[in-house]
Amino acid sequence: MDAFYAAIEQRDNPALLGRPVIVGSPPSRRGVVCAASYEARRFGVRSAMPSVTAGRLCPNGVFIPPRMNDYRAESFEIMRILSETGAVIEPMSIDEAYLDLSDTIAELASRQSAELESPDDALLLAIPLAKTIRKRISHDRRLTASIGVAANKFLAKLASDFQKPDGLTLIPERDKVQFLRPLPIRTIHGVGKVTEQALHQAGIRTVGDLQDRPGNLRDLVGSFGPQLKAFSLGNDDRPVAPGDEIKSISSEQTFETDTEDRTILRVCLLEQSEEITQKLRKHQLRAHTVQVKIRYSNFKTLTRQITVEDGVSDARSVYRLACHLLAKDRLVFSPLRLLGLGLSNFSDRVSPQMRLL
Amino acid sequence: MKLVIAKDKLIQGLQAVQNVVGSKTTLPILSNVLLQASGSRLELTATDLDVTISCSVEATVEREGGTTLPVKRLFGIARELAAYEVELDVNEKSVCTLKAGSSFYRINGLAMEEYPPKPEFSELRNVSLVQEKLKGMFKKTSFAISTDETRFVLNGVYVSFKGQKMTMVATDGRRLALAETDVEIADEGQCDFIVPTKAVNELNRLLQSSGEVEIKTSENRVAFSLKEEGGASIGIVSKLVEGNYPNYRQVIPGECKERIALGREELLHALRRAEIMTSDKSNSVKMAFTRNNLAITANSPEVGEARESLAINYKGRDVAIAFNPNYLMDPLKALEDDEVYLELIDELSPGVLKVSEPFLYVLMPMRMS
Repeated sequence: MDAFYAAIEQRDNPALLGRPVIVGSPPSRRGVVCAASYEARRFGVRSAMPSVTAGRLCPNGVFIPPRMNDYRAESFEIMRILSETGAVIEPMSIDEAYLDLSDTIAELASRQSAELESPDDALLLAIPLAKTIRKRISHDRRLTASIGVAANKFLAKLASDFQKPDGLTLIPERDKVQFLRPLPIRTIHGVGKVTEQALHQAGIRTVGDLQDRPGNLRDLVGSFGPQLKAFSLGNDDRPVAPGDEIKSISSEQTFETDTEDRTILRVCLLEQSEEITQKLRKHQLRAHTVQVKIRYSNFKTLTRQITVEDGVSDARSVYRLACHLLAKDRLVFSPLRLLGLGLSNFSDRVSPQMRLL
Repeated sequence: MKLVIAKDKLIQGLQAVQNVVGSKTTLPILSNVLLQASGSRLELTATDLDVTISCSVEATVEREGGTTLPVKRLFGIARELAAYEVELDVNEKSVCTLKAGSSFYRINGLAMEEYPPKPEFSELRNVSLVQEKLKGMFKKTSFAISTDETRFVLNGVYVSFKGQKMTMVATDGRRLALAETDVEIADEGQCDFIVPTKAVNELNRLLQSSGEVEIKTSENRVAFSLKEEGGASIGIVSKLVEGNYPNYRQVIPGECKERIALGREELLHALRRAEIMTSDKSNSVKMAFTRNNLAITANSPEVGEARESLAINYKGRDVAIAFNPNYLMDPLKALEDDEVYLELIDELSPGVLKVSEPFLYVLMPMRMS
């Protein structure tokens, strides 16, 4: 989805259309940018940037507090449109998903008695499907999406980013190596600052340089080498896996001003306990591990966790364990900037052992 | 301080106290044993600030005084010595010279003045009883202590002196063990407190089957003085668990539907055999009581099945209930009676195990799938 949160805000409030919309904390307060409209991006505003910085870059930006519940509801509607294609769907985040259309295309081809002689024939058949998805999203949801069509996840993601917003890009198998050649190495998923630097030092600047370098690149980037080499040639064999299994649920809060006030911290933990156990119960799970995360004024961050045999699903128990974790090592000895609470290690089984007390 | 001591006495003293010293101590001096020589005795003391153990043994004291020495090292030396007698001589710089036969050691100690002071107790609040009684009470209850660190009030044994009765309770929220005995308690001695697990473990180790034990309490501590005729005397002082013990009386069922007499050892062995076929995923055994028969079964889909049949005297209605076999075996191992009585209400209510003496064990069943 293109500038998802900001686009929803602009759609729901036409007065914001054409204006630089920044979803996140206002620049007067602590916090970060969750999303920026394309108008705001022109000023250099990016998501995850501190709001203060965004306010400086874009003084006329309209800051809007996030409405996560509405965004999630919107995401659900969009995922529903995607699921109508019959694809295997792997949601990556609230506004991104991979679709494996192999079966849909095969069926389509057999219905049209078309022969799929090369992988590119299949990709071409996917184009109308992608167009339909974009039309549905724009018509039903009045939002825009960018779609990349390619033979694997790596290329599809690259393609989707290629012509944002409202883009549709196809990377045919036949052209993929040439397509990748001029791109800077940073465009490859997994190449961050450190890897980029290591590669620059070896004189590698474009994906083409990577393609031309013999060997598996282990000498330059370690274990990431073989995969990086494969990516540079447009190869990726990761399957599209519907990862609907929840691994962890968490909530965290950055305080307006750093605090060690026990009442404020307790209220915060209690609210977080409520929030995360609500999700837990919705999925009918019990959590066996509870984790607290704290960040002091000097940004020193630590976590403590406890694993319980019986598992917990109610806010009160999670709250009790969280308080225990903080009290045990006397962690709150100076003001906290951030307090977080997380659950993991889920099971759906209630212990058959009944309790006396 | 200068003294001569039999190697066995030194080992005995060190063995009694050194257990409380952890491998990670917050203060360096807590890795040391406090040695104090006076009269004809050497007193050894070790502490982790929560539990303090002292043991006094015979010694020939030439010069009274004291020091502290690294306990693990001293114990290592004492254990390996070939000679039967050990001479300890400590100078004013806390350096100890240890001589035994052809062995010589120089050990750097720390001044005794830096050692944490011993807590004080009022003489008034005390109760005396024979060690064997106390040992038995702890044995019959302490296995039920909770290991859940988040429920700290359950991390110990609750002890109550009320009227002329001493009551001990331990529970982990799934089962509860209670033992009672008659003792003479003065009016000032009436009190209740929670002895933390660590102190209970030390008491289980140190209480003997002969001699007296004196129990003193203060606001936040309890002291157990173990006296042995002629030999060593041991003192255990522990901080108490702070907080209120839950109202355990309310979980003890008032009346039961069925009361079944069972041979303790026979039942224990049958449970041991059945337990082998339990697994992490299905860790229960089913006990089915029918006319004059008890069938114990364990069934784990991924492992297999075990079935035991016991001839019993039972005329009641058919009833089946599932328990964690380990929870049921714990009291059977701790008890010595030939016969135990299992009282049941239904498959979802707690079962109660009793014997002829004042003891009971309440155990919650497991849901049968």
